[in-house]
Amino acid sequence: MLVIDGSQGEGGGQILRTALALSLQTGKPFRLEQIRAGRQKPGLLRQHLTAVQAAAAVGRAEVAGAALGSTTLEMHPGTVTPGDYHFAVGTAGSAMLVLQTILPPLLTASGVSTLTLEGGTHNPFAPPFDFVADSFAPLIRRMGPSIELELHRPGFYPAGGGKLQVVIHPVGQLSRLDLLDRGPIQRRLARALISIIPRQVADRELACVQQHLGWSEEECRVESVTHPTGLGNVLLLKVETEQVTGVFTGFGERRRSAEQVAQEATDAAMAWLRAGVPVDEHLADQLLLPMALAGGGSFRTVRPSSHTLTNADIIRQFLPVDIRVEQESPLAWQVVVASR
Amino acid sequence: MPARQTVLIGLLGSVLDSGFHGERWNRWRPTVSLCMHKELPVARFELIHSKAHEHTARCVAADIQRTSPGTTVVLREQEFGNPWDFEEVYGSLHDFARGYPFRPEEEDYLVHITTGTHVQQICLFLLAESRHLPARLVQSAPAEPKRRGPDGKYSIIDLDLSKYDRIAARFQREARDAASFLKSGIETRNPRFNQLIEQIEHVAIHSREPVLLMGPTGAGKSQLARRIFELKKSRHQVAGVFVEVNCATLRGESAMSTLFGHTKGAFTGAVKDRPGLLRAADGGLLFLDEVGELGLDEQAMLLRALEEKRFLPLGSDRESSSDFQLIAGTNRDLAVAVRSGRFREDLLARMNLWTFHLPGLAERPEDIEPNLDYELDRVARGSGTRPVLGRDVREEFLAFARSPAARWSANFRDLNACVTRMATLSAGGRITREVMQGEIARLRSSWAPASDAPYRESIPAGVLDPATFQQLDLFDRVQLAAVIAVCRESATLSEAGRKLFSSTREKRKVQNDADRLRKYLARFGLDWQGCKG
Repeated sequence: MLVIDGSQGEGGGQILRTALALSLQTGKPFRLEQIRAGRQKPGLLRQHLTAVQAAAAVGRAEVAGAALGSTTLEMHPGTVTPGDYHFAVGTAGSAMLVLQTILPPLLTASGVSTLTLEGGTHNPFAPPFDFVADSFAPLIRRMGPSIELELHRPGFYPAGGGKLQVVIHPVGQLSRLDLLDRGPIQRRLARALISIIPRQVADRELACVQQHLGWSEEECRVESVTHPTGLGNVLLLKVETEQVTGVFTGFGERRRSAEQVAQEATDAAMAWLRAGVPVDEHLADQLLLPMALAGGGSFRTVRPSSHTLTNADIIRQFLPVDIRVEQESPLAWQVVVASR
Repeated sequence: MPARQTVLIGLLGSVLDSGFHGERWNRWRPTVSLCMHKELPVARFELIHSKAHEHTARCVAADIQRTSPGTTVVLREQEFGNPWDFEEVYGSLHDFARGYPFRPEEEDYLVHITTGTHVQQICLFLLAESRHLPARLVQSAPAEPKRRGPDGKYSIIDLDLSKYDRIAARFQREARDAASFLKSGIETRNPRFNQLIEQIEHVAIHSREPVLLMGPTGAGKSQLARRIFELKKSRHQVAGVFVEVNCATLRGESAMSTLFGHTKGAFTGAVKDRPGLLRAADGGLLFLDEVGELGLDEQAMLLRALEEKRFLPLGSDRESSSDFQLIAGTNRDLAVAVRSGRFREDLLARMNLWTFHLPGLAERPEDIEPNLDYELDRVARGSGTRPVLGRDVREEFLAFARSPAARWSANFRDLNACVTRMATLSAGGRITREVMQGEIARLRSSWAPASDAPYRESIPAGVLDPATFQQLDLFDRVQLAAVIAVCRESATLSEAGRKLFSSTREKRKVQNDADRLRKYLARFGLDWQGCKG
């Protein structure tokens, strides 16, 4: 059995989700040890259990050690079973992270799946809905499957209450994807989402976008959430290029000024624009897994995060692939995924 | 999946948990926030609320549902009347605890004690401590301002576990301190005595009922009564003063008036009102030493004062009242006094709920040394210098003090006097061997006359004339007393003889027990009839 060290690299959660997805996909059982060792609260937390439960449901898997605070988890996957699934995730976790866990195996499952997910859709430390819908999903479509995402209601920390639906039409085998250039910028849009937050907060955020990035007023838009369930604010910058769409986010939080929120998003956008590569840091993280499942692919990106490198290590343990990361220039790296 | 589920039980915080606008998500709301923690999955929340706060309860339930979809919120309407009233709150929560279908083998219960009035929180604690609520406690608080998020922090308190043990240890230490206080700080070693003091400490702290201290004169009854009072005072259990009276000093009319007071003109010499000692002890503690010496009239009045806290002062038409705790001391067996009609049986019954027998000093040889040091310290406090007792001298003195020859018939009074004498005689603050040996001789002689008292009494009055008795050695007195006792139990001289010489008569050729006895008695001028009385 595959034994994975859960204390390596940065993430307890990231390792767990990648391992769950790969195990379902490959049918290989695994044991994860030393989960979040050395942390203040070691072992599995609530949001991790939610991901385990979702994976077990979709993959008809048997799981041992799925208890709170457990530092060892063992999973014996069954058959990935497409269908209608509904998962409700509490404040403590992001609905998007559950999607990240169960989406890859469903891309090549034997039938159509409809997922209804409830909980947080725009949480810090998790990909926001708009990133998955606008940046990640179009690339997945280029690999074969059809995937439609619809946001019924955004959910912010801590009230949650968000809801989204994902419909997946799978393919037998994912096809290779190469993303080496992004091509010319076609459209830019800055959206300041507010939920029970004064409009001037959004206005100040957008003013920063105009000032720092030089975007026009027409490229900036305030969106007020209708029928809000809780407080929330997020600034989303979308840059559509010929090959790829970059989505950069600033999360509004208590005691954080509109200007700080805006800077988080504009700094990320600027770094990507300056590097001239198609794939940003977060997208690199997400693309490795489908490319490895496709058996090959490549992309140019910014400096890989330790998250990405840990992810690559886990993938190598499950799949017969090589993942090579090479620096091309001071700002650009090339990542190549190839069958062994 | 985890086999055991966590169930929270808590009161709705009518203020802290309230809020219907979006702003509420910025705040720490104890009930909602407790369901937000990453490592605390809550299967069910039993939310207790009043009818008046139903709206808030429903909002809180919906918010929990949203932030923690795995949690089922059960709203339990429960009225408290006045939520600051201990009796009502305890009763209501006790009803809840009794009626709730706990399944401790399947579920872990946590009682949230952060919400509700302080009285409600205290009652929840008490119910958890007494295991009416088979639960651990959970306490929550908002996070530090720097940290983001309304989830706050929490801690779980298991009343069975270590922290609580440390608190319990603190109480034990306090009890030990109290026991040590009752012993005036003397490190006594006699296990029976130490056990006795622990019991007295417990009773002193937990009871206001009368206490009866039995024990020989000088065993420390009065001292102990005063320490009990001071202990109670340090715990704020008495507001009044300590009143002490020796009943042997109360005689006739003045006994009544001393205890129960009188009005002006009640008798000749009653020139003004006198409230009496019982009244003076109101709210405090009354120590009646040698209570067996109290007259029957006073006993009757005292009984009424104990039972009804009321009594009639001499010459008064109006009853006086006093709420005091009684400690009675006696050196005689009150049961005997009851049989001979000198003590009221009902008063004894009322007084001996807590009866403690204080042993004499001779029964506690291992405590003589610490008490010797205590007495030396006492002298030091009085004179400023502590008398020096060299090791050899000390050992020699203790050897005598612990031996059967040291009768300590007046107990601590003897020891106190003995140390005072030695300290006074020791020139330059050092107690020499000569001084110590002189003191031992003095003690021996002071005990000697008293020492034959029990044996003299055992020779029935009238059998021997006092002059003859005085001339006898103790050796003879003891023997004669036993012989007379046997004679009085026997029907004939021969029967008494058989009993008295039972071991040697078998070996004799001629069995002449009766003759031997007759000759023995004759030596004291006694015959069979005379010793039968």
